[in-house]
Amino acid sequence: MRSNQNNNDMKTRTFITPALALLLLAGFSVQAADQMTKYYARSGSKMRLEGTSTIHDWQVEGTLIGGYLEVDSNFPSEPGQDVKPGKVEAHAEPFIMVRSLKSVEKDGKPYNDRMDEVMYEHLKAQANSKISFQLTDLTLKEPAKSKDAPYVFEAKGKLIVAGVTNDVTMPINVLPLGDKKLKVSGKTSLKMTDFKVEPPNPLGLGIKTGDDVKIIFDWMVAQRNPPAAAAAK
Amino acid sequence: MNENETNALDFNRRDFLKGGSVATLMTMLGGVELLGETNAAPGGESKAPDAKLKVGVIGLGAWGREILNTLALVPQADVAAVCDTYPASVRRAASLAPKAAPTEDYKTILENKEIKAVVVATPTHQHKDIVLAALKAGKHVYCEAPLAGTIDDARAIATAAKAAKRSVFQAGLQFRADPQRHFLVPFIRSGAIGTWLSARAQFHKKQSWRATSPKPEREKELNWRLSKETSIGLVGELGIHPIDQATWFINALPVAVSGFGTLALWKDGRDVPDTVQAMLEFPGGIVMNYDATLANSFDADYAMFYGTDAAVMLRESKAWLFKEVDSPLLGWEVYASKEVFYKETGIVLKANASKSVPANAGAQAQAQDSPFNNTPLFYALQVFLKNGIDVSDKVEDATALLGADDAEGIAAEVAKVQRRLAAGYLDGFQAAVTAIKANEAILTSQRIVLKPEWYELA
Repeated sequence: MRSNQNNNDMKTRTFITPALALLLLAGFSVQAADQMTKYYARSGSKMRLEGTSTIHDWQVEGTLIGGYLEVDSNFPSEPGQDVKPGKVEAHAEPFIMVRSLKSVEKDGKPYNDRMDEVMYEHLKAQANSKISFQLTDLTLKEPAKSKDAPYVFEAKGKLIVAGVTNDVTMPINVLPLGDKKLKVSGKTSLKMTDFKVEPPNPLGLGIKTGDDVKIIFDWMVAQRNPPAAAAAK
Repeated sequence: MNENETNALDFNRRDFLKGGSVATLMTMLGGVELLGETNAAPGGESKAPDAKLKVGVIGLGAWGREILNTLALVPQADVAAVCDTYPASVRRAASLAPKAAPTEDYKTILENKEIKAVVVATPTHQHKDIVLAALKAGKHVYCEAPLAGTIDDARAIATAAKAAKRSVFQAGLQFRADPQRHFLVPFIRSGAIGTWLSARAQFHKKQSWRATSPKPEREKELNWRLSKETSIGLVGELGIHPIDQATWFINALPVAVSGFGTLALWKDGRDVPDTVQAMLEFPGGIVMNYDATLANSFDADYAMFYGTDAAVMLRESKAWLFKEVDSPLLGWEVYASKEVFYKETGIVLKANASKSVPANAGAQAQAQDSPFNNTPLFYALQVFLKNGIDVSDKVEDATALLGADDAEGIAAEVAKVQRRLAAGYLDGFQAAVTAIKANEAILTSQRIVLKPEWYELA
C-alpha cells in the first residue's frame, strides 16, 4: 500500500486534485492487481488420447484432471459476460495422473491391461507420475457469440510428459456454466518422440505404434474452497 | 465354401495385420487378444514392477492355503497378513506366506490402514461378521462362495457390499473371472449349440470330507461341513459353482429346484448327505441336473451344455464342442484341433488358441502359446486385486485433486472406474439363494418354487 501524500489544508484545490487523483489511481491499480480469481479442479473432466498403429487405431481416456486456474478480471466467469479480446493475466497448472489413463475401445469399454502397462512403462510413470501443463500466456481471440457459446482463447505453455518439457500453443475454448463453474476445452497434437517417448512395438510382431498422438480434453473447474488436505493415513 | 471364404481363412501376414473379419475369425477360434497376458517387457527392457495391493487372508483351512499358494503367483498380490483362530493353521500358512504378519484376530488386519484388501475364506457361517466389519473398515473384500448359509445373512453381505461405494466386493465364484469362460459365454449365447435343451454337472470324488484333530472341540470346528447347522452341503459348497455357471450361460435365474440326497457311505455321525442330486428348472423348459457324491470317483467333475446343434463340455478350464451331424458348418471348425472321447469327437474351444499367432511371430509370441493355463482361482484373485488397485488409486487421486470435502465429486469419480469382469455382490447373493434352496430341496426331497423376490436386494 502506497503511503498517503501529506496534504496541506492550505494548498489550493487544483493542487489537491492531482494528488487525490494519483492516490485514487494507486488505490485502483492495487485493487486491480488483487482481482485474480482462482478456479479449482472439479469432477466431470475428461481427457482422451488418440493414436494409431499398424493394426488399428487406439484410444486412452482419463477422467480426473487436477490443478488450478487463476485469472484476472478480464476473464469471462459468467455466461455471456462482456470481455474484450486481448491478453489475460493467468496462471494455470492442470495435470493428470498417468495411472488414471486407461486404454479403451472406441465405445469407451476397457480395452487391455497389458496395453496400459506398456503405456505406463513408456511414459516412465514410476519416475513421472503426472502429465502436466504450465500456462505461460493466455489471449482472448473471440468473445462468445451467445450465452451458450464458448470464448475462444489461445494458450501457450509448457507441456511436460515423461519428464520432458516442450512448448505448445493451442486453441482453448472456455465455456462459463454459471454458478462459478467453467469448462475449459482444447485439442492439441504431439509426437511421442518429441518427449523422448519411444512408440511401443509390442511383442516384436512388427506391430508399430504411430508417433502422432491427439489430445482432447474437457477440464471442469469451479470457484470453490481450495482442496482440503486428505486425512492422515 | 466359396473362394472368398477360403481366402478369409488364410493365415498370411497381410490378412493378420488387416484386422476386420480376420479379427472376428480370431475371436471365434479363441484369438481374443493379440497382446496376450505376458510378463515379457516390450523391446526386451526390464519391466517396471507391477502395482501391488496389500492383502490379508482370513481363514487358513485347506482352501485358505490354496488361496495363499495362488496369491504367491499373482504379481499384484502382496500378502501382508494371514489370520486364523487356530494357531496351528496360522503356523502352517506362515510357511506359505513368509512375509505376512500372522495373527489370530482378524480385527488387527482391519485396523491396519496399509492393508487395503482382505480375502475371507473362513467356514461359511462365519463370513458375515467378518465381511461386514471389513467393508465398514473400507477394505476391498473377496468373500468365498457361498456367501452365507442363510438367505438373510447372504442378503446382509450383499446389501453392505452394494453400499460400500469405495470398496471392491467380489464373490468367490471364480468361473465368472475366467477368460476361457468369458470367451465361451457369447459363443454359446450366440446360438452355437442351437436351441438350449439342458445342462448337467457332476462332482465325483471318493473322499470323506472329514478332517481329524486330537482335540474334540477342534474336530467339531474343523468339520463344520458335516453338520446341517453350519453347512449347506455338497450343493452349497461345491455345486454352487457349476449351478452359477449354468445360470450365467443360460442368462436366467432358475424358477424351481427339486432335490434328493442320501448318506450312502460315510456314516460317521454326520447329518449332511454324501450323495446328492438337484434338478434346477430354468425358463424355457431348460433343466439342469447336478449330481455330486463323495462315494465314487468316476469321471471326476465336469459340466455339459446340450443344444439341438451341439453339446459343449467343460472340464476345469478346457472346453470342447460336439456338433450334431446335421448342424450347420460354421467353417472354422475344419481347421480347429479335435480330441476323441470314446465315440465322440470334440472340437477344442480354447480362448487365444495358438493357431491365431502367425508362424513368423517372434520367439516371445510363441512362448505365449498357452496363456490361459492358470486356474480360474488365479484369474479371480488377480482381477480382484487389479480392481482393488484401480479403485484405491482413484479414491486417493480424487481426494488429493478434488479435496477430501468433495464427497460427491470423489464418489462420481470412483463410480467411473471400469471394473474387470468378475462375480459381484448380486451374482454372489443370487447364487447363494439358489444353493441354499437347492440344499433345502435335497434335505426334504421336495420341489421348491424359487420366488423372484428371494433374489432381490431391497
